[in-house]
Amino acid sequence: MRAELRRTLVGYGFVLPWLVALGLFIGYPFIAGFYFSFCDYPPLRDPLFTGLDNYAELLGDRSFHRAMGVTLIYAAVAIPLGMVFALTLAMLLNARIRGQSIYRVIFYLPHLVPTVAVAILWLWIFNPKFGLLNLVLSGLLGAMDAWAGLFFDVRAALERGNPFHLGSLALPCAAALAFVAFGPPARRLGLGRRAETRLRLGAGACLAIAGVPFLHTAACWLFPADMVKLHSPGWLSDGTPLPACVSFAPSWALWALIVMSMWGVGQMAVIYLAKLQDVPVELYEAAEIDGANWWQKTWHVTLPMISPVILFNAVMAIIGTFQVFTEPYIMTGGGPEDKTRFVAMFVYDQAFQYQRVGYASAVAWVLFLVIVALTLGALRISRGHVYYEGK
Amino acid sequence: MRLAHLGLGGLIAIVVLVAVLEPRPSLEEFDPARHAEFASSWDGRVHIAYWEKWGSFERDACQAMVDDFNRSQREIFVHYINASQVNRKAMLAIIGGDPPDVVGLWANDVAPFAEAGALEPLDTFLEEHGLARGYYTENYLKLGMYNGKVYALPTTPMSVALFYNKEHFRAKAAELRAAGLDPDRAPRTIEELDRYARVLDEFEPDGSPRIMGFLPTEPGWFNASWGYYFGGELVDPATGAITADHPANVRALLWVKRYAETYGREKLLRFRSGFGNFDSPQNAFIEGKVSMEMQGVWFPNFIRRHRPHMDFGVAPFPTAEGVPGPRSVLDADVIAIPRGSPRPEAAKKFLLHAQTRGLAILCRMQGKHMPVLRPPDLFREGHPNLELPVFEAVAASPHSFLLPRMIAWQEYEHELSRAFEHIWNWPVPESELAGLDGDSRARKVEELCRAEIERTLAEVRETIQRKLDRKRELDRLRALRGASP
Repeated sequence: MRAELRRTLVGYGFVLPWLVALGLFIGYPFIAGFYFSFCDYPPLRDPLFTGLDNYAELLGDRSFHRAMGVTLIYAAVAIPLGMVFALTLAMLLNARIRGQSIYRVIFYLPHLVPTVAVAILWLWIFNPKFGLLNLVLSGLLGAMDAWAGLFFDVRAALERGNPFHLGSLALPCAAALAFVAFGPPARRLGLGRRAETRLRLGAGACLAIAGVPFLHTAACWLFPADMVKLHSPGWLSDGTPLPACVSFAPSWALWALIVMSMWGVGQMAVIYLAKLQDVPVELYEAAEIDGANWWQKTWHVTLPMISPVILFNAVMAIIGTFQVFTEPYIMTGGGPEDKTRFVAMFVYDQAFQYQRVGYASAVAWVLFLVIVALTLGALRISRGHVYYEGK
Repeated sequence: MRLAHLGLGGLIAIVVLVAVLEPRPSLEEFDPARHAEFASSWDGRVHIAYWEKWGSFERDACQAMVDDFNRSQREIFVHYINASQVNRKAMLAIIGGDPPDVVGLWANDVAPFAEAGALEPLDTFLEEHGLARGYYTENYLKLGMYNGKVYALPTTPMSVALFYNKEHFRAKAAELRAAGLDPDRAPRTIEELDRYARVLDEFEPDGSPRIMGFLPTEPGWFNASWGYYFGGELVDPATGAITADHPANVRALLWVKRYAETYGREKLLRFRSGFGNFDSPQNAFIEGKVSMEMQGVWFPNFIRRHRPHMDFGVAPFPTAEGVPGPRSVLDADVIAIPRGSPRPEAAKKFLLHAQTRGLAILCRMQGKHMPVLRPPDLFREGHPNLELPVFEAVAASPHSFLLPRMIAWQEYEHELSRAFEHIWNWPVPESELAGLDGDSRARKVEELCRAEIERTLAEVRETIQRKLDRKRELDRLRALRGASP
């Protein structure tokens, strides 16, 4: 009994420093913050209990609404995009190719770079005049304009005019060829397998040649202002929405931060990768025997088997995106027009710039509750969709 | 198990030893380079810390002022400590109970710091040393006041004026004359400024700007104060009510918006993205990309540093037709003694030097004028800023103004800057302006944007007024409950 007690005490002794730090630096601020959220508390005065006043003020505070709006829009776009991007990356990294480990290291490396350094680096990448991104974009879109110009009148499309000219006839020709190659005529023609493959490849190439300009021209017709701007966007200084026709869409500046966040999905990809390698090979073999193609195997085997990890990554992403601070603080300072001012920045400004610790605590608690609600929502939605092998 | 005990014991012992034996760094160890010069009296002096925001040549000026004090007596040694974001750090230090002895802040910080009780009042100090009346220029003294008490004293003052590139004026002399403008002087009204700007503009073959005569977005530090040049106010001086949507402020934003729409927001965005940092040869004015710019008394220092032979002129910034001038926004760096200052008496002795002999050293070395009514006789002789008389004149002008000194000013300024950006970016369909030029285009822009400008500024007024009302309500509540003031 004494030996058991001693072992327990030693165990607690070892975790004691961590427990003390947890209580001191997380537990106390957590509880104190909750109390202060009901107070008016300029730091050098005594807290004055004001009940729910801070929460009531939040309801009418436009700056807070803007910050919460930016955070929610960012979360709604960046979380799904990041998860899909990370999963795609993990599946590519899972392929058995030469130099696999090197690729894995390369894609994980950005996660290890300090956030401040990343922010400074991307500031240059996003520079509208000298930045790498605009250099590539303007070149790419210039080439695309030239190519699309062979089949459509892109300038007319940008002015919502008639985009068709003689070259546009290639489009129905390509469609007809695709119909022959992929539709019933190919079967009726009774071509050999090799000839059929050749016909399909040719039709595919024609579709690509005419289809890409079609999509480009359609984008120019549908979103003329955005497509013009896309040749050389102002990125971090542009507060207008993209697409311009959707007033609540993320601003160009917010899109810049979203694009930048994709650079750091390496850690999420590594977690996916670990789980992907855990999927039993027999399941794929059984699916192959049943005649499943790549997509069916992914949809019916891979995704269900890694679903717990997808849920984990989703929850971590929700928590992470609601705490975004460093990148916008360094890169935009919340501008332009507060379009990149996240709730975390709002809390910081209230507490350290305006010395309103009580109000900042109330905002922090609302943020906490939003994160908890979204996490619980994710867990609830996941019921019936997440497969745990042990259960 | 025994090893585990030993490990645990060892760990605890190391933590305790480090905590107990690690000596606290003392102020005396901070400056070994100066220790050599002041070795004879080093140990006998009271060492005090002076936190200040400046780096670069401005820091040298502060250090020279500090050195002068240190050499002038043998009792006190001031350590100049350069800190970025000094206001936030100072506030944290004051809250944490470990403040510096003296702190250099911006005038904007005085209201929130004083309201929080973070600064010592200096009224008695001013009375004791005969500085209370007739020493300072009234406006600059006001910058350090809050609720009728002095909490901070001005060090280097700020006033602004119009900088214009004389090389550009000369190159376009014929065109300026043809437009009925005098190439040998700066514009005197906003309307004239616009006309000068239009003549000075130069464009690339694709229509994008190469040189802009004037841009209200440059340097972007004064976006909250344009309304004053049109006769506006941000706060009603009689009632203290917020007047963000004063008709003159609306007029100022319409003027700003006309620039955005005349040249095209996108083109201007790309043009501006090519500007370098303020303190660099790629500064828009120094590089010659913008011909006229509102800048402060400090700017000649930077021109001299990056383009010593640049031919530029300085004149009071124009005001709108009918608005009396010259006028300038007045601001200042201030120096204060934080609450809980460990050595307040020594701090006051340094403060006295920083407001008398030290002030002349500081202002002269930073190329600025002095915030006092009668600068020392030799102050102006050989002063490095040849444009000093212009700044002294605008600083002394009865039409120059201070930005509101109120607890919510930082939030107000933030909201005004946001409104400025919002209006600048607010989309006006190109189709609405197609075929219009000059005045007809300006009128159309006004017609299309007026309502949005009025709505935006009214929103700013409501937001800030609500904050002020809430603050008053909380003060009343505190008074009722007898909570700490």
